[in-house]
Amino acid sequence: MGNKPVVELKNLSKTIGKKKIVDNLNLALYPGQITGFLGPNGAGKTTTIRMMVGLMEPSSGDVIIDGISLADDFEGGLSKVGVIVENPEMYKYMSGYKNLVHFARMHEAVTKERIDEVVHQVGMQNRIHEKVSTYSLGMRQRLGLAQALLHRPKFLILDEPTNGLDPAGIREFRMHLRDIAEKEGVSVFVSSHMLSEIELMCDRIAVIQNGKLIDIREMSGMQESHYYIEALPRDATEALLKEEGFTAESHQNGFIINAEKEQIPALIQQFTLQKQQIFAVQPYRKTLEDEFLEMTGGGQIAEAHTK
Amino acid sequence: MLKLIQNEWMKLWSKKGTWVMTGLLAVFIVGMFGLTKWIETKKDSSEQDWKVSVQEELAYTKEQLAMPTLATNERKRLEGNEKVYEHQLANSIEPLDSNSRERMIMDSAGIGSVVVLLVVIVAAGIVASEFSQGTIKMLLSRPVKRWKILTSKYVTVILFGVVLMLVGFGVSIISAYVIFQSGSGQELVWNGKEVVEVSVWGRGLYILLLSFANVFVTATFAFMIGSVFRSSSMAIGLSLFSYFMGNTVVMLLSKYEVVKYIVFTHMDLTMYESNFRIVEDITMPFSLAVLAVYLIMFLLISYTTFMKRDITA
Repeated sequence: MGNKPVVELKNLSKTIGKKKIVDNLNLALYPGQITGFLGPNGAGKTTTIRMMVGLMEPSSGDVIIDGISLADDFEGGLSKVGVIVENPEMYKYMSGYKNLVHFARMHEAVTKERIDEVVHQVGMQNRIHEKVSTYSLGMRQRLGLAQALLHRPKFLILDEPTNGLDPAGIREFRMHLRDIAEKEGVSVFVSSHMLSEIELMCDRIAVIQNGKLIDIREMSGMQESHYYIEALPRDATEALLKEEGFTAESHQNGFIINAEKEQIPALIQQFTLQKQQIFAVQPYRKTLEDEFLEMTGGGQIAEAHTK
Repeated sequence: MLKLIQNEWMKLWSKKGTWVMTGLLAVFIVGMFGLTKWIETKKDSSEQDWKVSVQEELAYTKEQLAMPTLATNERKRLEGNEKVYEHQLANSIEPLDSNSRERMIMDSAGIGSVVVLLVVIVAAGIVASEFSQGTIKMLLSRPVKRWKILTSKYVTVILFGVVLMLVGFGVSIISAYVIFQSGSGQELVWNGKEVVEVSVWGRGLYILLLSFANVFVTATFAFMIGSVFRSSSMAIGLSLFSYFMGNTVVMLLSKYEVVKYIVFTHMDLTMYESNFRIVEDITMPFSLAVLAVYLIMFLLISYTTFMKRDITA
């Protein structure tokens, strides 16, 4: 991660009326990395993304893409960006190919060969000359990905990319993204509220709430091992765990502790020595969902209007 | 920029509606010509001698010229007519038959009034439909400045208007040749020094050009409404409403000075050729100037709103 960031958000803010939709956001995104962008509904995800691609004007702050400030050189900055904003709406009355030609013309130096290459990359070669109105949602998503890749962007922004895809489609989509990030060193930024999706896809997550960035963390940190222990009597269990130097966190009928695998047999021996009744000792994986709800305090809809 | 216009042109002609509209235009023109021919055949052919009618016209013109209150423009026009009638009688040149092939080609003003309706539909939808289909997000998240995109759309609308006018003119020439006989007379005009024959093609194209002003202004208005309110139905409705109500407004206000500065007064430039004007003391350069001011205003409004808008749809 010692690389130079591809994208930097600097004190990005958006105020609509008196409401601060996005508040002083700072974020850096690095090549080859997939960053998830999480937040409850109304937290400002979509607004942030729209400011990054020129659909909305920031009230203050700037977006810097590959060293180019969007405010100074909009065309130069955006030429490095591929975008899928929510459902990729295409011109339904034209064929997929014509749609790609249309978008290719809006970028510099996208050749016919490149269009064909991208079509193959997303596996659309058999139906590309049919009208978009005959496509299934999955195919439209693929076409959406194709148009975003045409100009070999250094940075790919996806807003709710898997909306409406079936599990197979989502999996395929994920593979594509991984591929692109790893092979071409593209920095990918994915917004979603599908936590399990983000968990599988991303290297890093940024969490936003009420327009403020509340956390950025590497997904590798999530792999810490946790164990769930259920034993009676409860009080004695808690006391024992503390004595052994674990932080016990109450969960259902037992506790969750932060422990390595090697520590577990010794711990069980302790329990049996003290004649505690052990009901369960099992590895416990904290999901992103748990973490997310912890961070956002239940994940209720952001109370932006009260601020 | 050329690529952007190419894009808009491709999208325009990928829609079935565009082809249907162009077809309708052709059908309408052929229909009108057919109808004119049919009415002609129903009329009994006991025609008056042309000399008698020209003499009547001449007498009437002289009578009018004798009135002292006549406006200068009007006097000039009538004097020109007088010269033409006298020339016709003196050299016994028959005036052009009203249902001749040449006459049908020269009266090209009707094409413009159909084209307006069709171009307004395209002008209203070209920005609004991007919003309603949601494709505006795809279009504006490109490394292309917004004013370029809007310009490409506007150019496409005007280009479409030009193409329709030319198609209309082409169809009317073909049907004029198929349906009508060449007339025996000549169309004459006073050019200030002498009486000369009018060139059929030149005249047809000139009238076409004048009626294009109407297409141009109405389309720009529809384009503005479409890009400001993002609703093509509203843009079509408002544009056609003002297009049809324009003359009524001019009538109502014709007594006041302000009427000279209303866009409707100047939209139909063919009035300078057909010699029927609701407002008398205006000239072609003045009309062009007023139209230009309105055009710039419409475009200014379209550009500022389009460039500032946050895309939230």
